[in-house]
Amino acid sequence: MIRFENVTKVYDQNARPALDSVSLEIDRGEFAFLVGASGSGKSTFLRLVLKEDRATSGIVYVAGQNVANISSWRVPRLRRGIGVVFQDFRLLPQKNVFANVAFAMQVIGKSRSVIRDTVPEVLKTVGLEGKERRMPHELSGGEQQRVAIARAVVNRPGILLADEPTGNLDPTTSMGIMGVLDKINQNGTTVVMATHDDDIVNEMRKRVVELKNGKVIRDEARALYTSMIPVVGQSRRLKDASGRDDAADTSPPLPDRSPRSREDQL
Amino acid sequence: MRLQFILGEIGSGLRRNLSMVVSVILVTFVSLTFVGAAGMLQLQINQMKGYWYDKVQVAIFLCGEGSAAAGCATGPVTPEQQENLRTLLESPAVSQYINDFQFESKEDAYKHFKEQFSNSPIVDSVTPDQLPASFRINMKDPEKYQIISETFASQPGVETVIDQRQVLERLFSVMNAASLVAVSIAGVMTVCAILLIATTIRLSAFSRRRETGIMRLVGASKIVIQLPFILEGVIAAVIGAALASGTLWAVAHFFLGEFMSKQYPDTAFISPAQTLLLAPALIGLGVVLAGTSSLLTLRRYLRV
Repeated sequence: MIRFENVTKVYDQNARPALDSVSLEIDRGEFAFLVGASGSGKSTFLRLVLKEDRATSGIVYVAGQNVANISSWRVPRLRRGIGVVFQDFRLLPQKNVFANVAFAMQVIGKSRSVIRDTVPEVLKTVGLEGKERRMPHELSGGEQQRVAIARAVVNRPGILLADEPTGNLDPTTSMGIMGVLDKINQNGTTVVMATHDDDIVNEMRKRVVELKNGKVIRDEARALYTSMIPVVGQSRRLKDASGRDDAADTSPPLPDRSPRSREDQL
Repeated sequence: MRLQFILGEIGSGLRRNLSMVVSVILVTFVSLTFVGAAGMLQLQINQMKGYWYDKVQVAIFLCGEGSAAAGCATGPVTPEQQENLRTLLESPAVSQYINDFQFESKEDAYKHFKEQFSNSPIVDSVTPDQLPASFRINMKDPEKYQIISETFASQPGVETVIDQRQVLERLFSVMNAASLVAVSIAGVMTVCAILLIATTIRLSAFSRRRETGIMRLVGASKIVIQLPFILEGVIAAVIGAALASGTLWAVAHFFLGEFMSKQYPDTAFISPAQTLLLAPALIGLGVVLAGTSSLLTLRRYLRV
């Protein structure tokens, strides 16, 4: 679904590249975490997928298409296939929940009847039934993020990019959001989530791609936030994950999601 | 659906930015009024030129009923006198100075008079008999007017020889200067209008950056994102242009039509209807101004 071939992105000629010859493939329907310190290239990765920026070298494929070959007037079509969620929700404060989600459909010209049918369905998926008429400021952070997720997926994109979606939320609420993202992923949407939240990564046991200084230094399936194989320069990180390390390698993926999906429902 | 959405966006943009929109309307109104004033002066010049001005330079008016001039002692011009004049015009002595000439009968004169003074009440009180017949002469060199004047002024049956240009040219030069001034002021005001529209659109784009950011992310097309902003500027400019057109119409109707035409009944003034011909041009100009300046602004300040 997303494939990077030796992608390098240089913002400033004199500084080190934001992405340095990254090759990576994320398959359809996969759920991948993108971890790494600030400045490691996570956001650049997401921007390249959205064609917000152009790769300095290398090829970015999204849904089988080389994004460099997409002409500027076809970029909106590319973006319709990608939902995006941010740390700061980015809801429209003067629109209610329904209108915020409907906005994403209006601007691409969906008919009113389609909007009327689809929006409540999506709000139900993210666990916000009955809150259609609330204004964003009347919602908790977790609920606001759910609205943002609903807006991102209402046009049924094949890919959902989440840039630290739980960065502003407390751990319990975060797990609720992860439940929603997981549900969306189960429905077939590829989810790529950039995050700093080790608890979430450790709990979910999904694929983890770790970036450092623009390079992929780890790409593991069903992994933890911190590597089981110590990497040079990574040892500092082990201190907070050391307790979990022993069991991690052999433990199966979590059998069910019930402990997570219960939270954040008011 | 999309159209309705765009209209809604425009409405909210106009409301949110009301004071800026009003100033855009006023600035375009003033600048286009000056453009229109220049246009009106040119229309007025054309009106005063009448039928012959661009075709000939010199008119030899023939004696009519009750002409008081010295050459008219024998009463109205006779067919023989007329024929003599024509022969004289065709003779080598005179024809070397002229390209060609035309004879304007009383009926032709009446017809041309009616056209020129169609907006004036005087037209109803004039009959063909009151208008003189004339020879209209297109000079090779308009400066040689004196030769024609000397040759014909004393001929029997000639009331007077007039160099029309000399009569009107001075007035026209004043009016042309006035339209130049109007155009210059319009130029300055237009720069104002362009900058103000650019600023307004920039503010509008800034105050709606959340919306446009989201529109971009969910894959709204460039048109859907930009059109509301462009139309915002265009609508304001069109309102300004409509106000300017209305002002010009009012000037033609109340000032020229009601006041000036009574003060100067022998001058042909433009009609209010003629000024309305300027309206589409002004509105078109407003649309182009607002459209281009907002488009250029959006290219800089609204990423799509």
